[in-house]
Amino acid sequence: MNSGIDLEMSFTQGVQNLGLSHELAHLLWIPLPMLLVLVSAVIGVLVTVWLERKISAAAQQRIGPEYAGALGILQPMADGLKLLVKEDIIPARADSVLFTVGPILVLVPVILSWLIVPFGQNLLISNVGIGIFLWIALSSIQPIGLLMSGYSSNNKYSLLGGLRAAAQSISYEIPLALAVLAIVMMSNSLSTVDIVEQQNTAGFLSWNIWRQPVGFIIFWICALAECERLPFDLPEAEEELVAGYQTEYAGMKFALFYLAGYINLVLSALLVSVLYLGGWGFPISIDWFSSLIGLSIDNPLVQIMAGSIGIVMTILKAYLLVFLAILLRWTTPRVRIDQLLDLGWKFLLPISLVNLLVTASLKLAFPMTFGG
Amino acid sequence: MSNVNEAAGSKFNMLGFLEKVADYTKEAVSAAKYLVDGLGVTFDHMRRRPVTVQYPYEKLIPSERYRGRIHYEFDKCIACEVCVRVCPINLPVVDWVMNKETKKKELRNYSIDFGACIFCGNCVEYCPTNCLSMTEEYELAAFDRHSLNYDNVALGRLPTSVTSDPSVRPLRELAYLPDGIMDPHELPAKQKRAGKLPSQIIKELQVKKSQEDEDNNSSEMVPNNLNSTN
Repeated sequence: MNSGIDLEMSFTQGVQNLGLSHELAHLLWIPLPMLLVLVSAVIGVLVTVWLERKISAAAQQRIGPEYAGALGILQPMADGLKLLVKEDIIPARADSVLFTVGPILVLVPVILSWLIVPFGQNLLISNVGIGIFLWIALSSIQPIGLLMSGYSSNNKYSLLGGLRAAAQSISYEIPLALAVLAIVMMSNSLSTVDIVEQQNTAGFLSWNIWRQPVGFIIFWICALAECERLPFDLPEAEEELVAGYQTEYAGMKFALFYLAGYINLVLSALLVSVLYLGGWGFPISIDWFSSLIGLSIDNPLVQIMAGSIGIVMTILKAYLLVFLAILLRWTTPRVRIDQLLDLGWKFLLPISLVNLLVTASLKLAFPMTFGG
Repeated sequence: MSNVNEAAGSKFNMLGFLEKVADYTKEAVSAAKYLVDGLGVTFDHMRRRPVTVQYPYEKLIPSERYRGRIHYEFDKCIACEVCVRVCPINLPVVDWVMNKETKKKELRNYSIDFGACIFCGNCVEYCPTNCLSMTEEYELAAFDRHSLNYDNVALGRLPTSVTSDPSVRPLRELAYLPDGIMDPHELPAKQKRAGKLPSQIIKELQVKKSQEDEDNNSSEMVPNNLNSTN
């Protein structure tokens, strides 16, 4: 199997040629992809915030941000800058330590989850063996942070919001994990790279969405619930709870929540594209394409082209899903808390269990198409 | 016997359970259908032009019977105080003195506080000399509410019209657009609004009425009491 561009290997080899040891070269390499991913995550958030404001405006026949930069493209930057220079308030009767730790505990696991998001064969920070499981594990840290900040605010609305966030996360984590499990069962691996590779054997026909349509819907609903996007934004429902657990927050601490929410949205969209929509895969197989133009797949030009197509495809798929999420936000009314828990426990959980069972039996019956 | 009963019972339960599952599936499918319908509506709205009127740069032209800030002509006023009596809160302040020699009222000052006025238009309606009238001015924001108390000089000023202000792009309101056009932005100039003007309608009605009167008079030769007063 062709491994494609390996930037890490070429970098370490280049540094080693300068006379440094292998370990040192590796140490020099490590921060580079991390910084890159951090920066791209933040840029992704800025783009998402701008898209959200523009698409929301379009759906309501408004114009949206217009004067900050061309088409208001600098508006999210201005928002961020404003939050940065705002006064950082800790309420007098609040628990200041928990109040400060809360938002950090919400943001850090979300950023850490970017470890496993692949943009290409070797274009991810770390191809850890537990892969997608790491994301599920990390995403269950988040409700602790939410509960912490809700509880420490010493405010009724914050507490209710925090409790709702915890209840929601717990209910939707299970069907989410079961939907992922069905995918894992089909691709015989937890690694995100393997999951994508296994989908890219025959263009878009081999994407998991055709074999896991139910899983795809379950995963998307649960991902929206995990991100607290609009049909499931009970923890911060402004008509009921002012702003939920964010009520007492201002300035940079609020910005951390804001950032976490949007990074989580982009991350979920990326993971949906990785798990169900073939990740970096182009709808037409690259092998076929390179043979068409008469170049070997090992040709550096083809490799660079394939790499950039991969990045563009991953981001494109993710942003199509972000668009869908924004459209859903202005289409669906918010569910009640009992409807939310009903949907989670009485609908998604049994369906995802059935989905898992059906996947297992299909895998036994047709090992060729369902990954024997 | 008991076995048979049990079997029948379980069969019945099984059917009930399946029915429940079928109902649930039906509900889920219809919910999904409605969701897709809704998404279609939202998606369709995105290709429509924004209805935004970008206020300081664009303004809607107020309709011809718009009740804005009141205009007052000092020289026409006879200080009869009808405006005060018909005002819901007796708002206009008419400051006059009786000139003993000429035995006439001499008007000194007149003021209306637009911080309290509700722009009902009663004063304009009842003014016997038509010295009060409504303007299309609605931008009455002020930093001090006392500055909203307009005296006769301030009341005598005419507002700048939206259509004559070079820094403002005037936009027609929905009812003033030509037939079939919903958006005032890309409107060709000098296009007439849909339907007729109120004055045209009144004129047409009068013509129709007079024709009917003539017909009645000629055919029946019966004097019409209702229409005899013209």
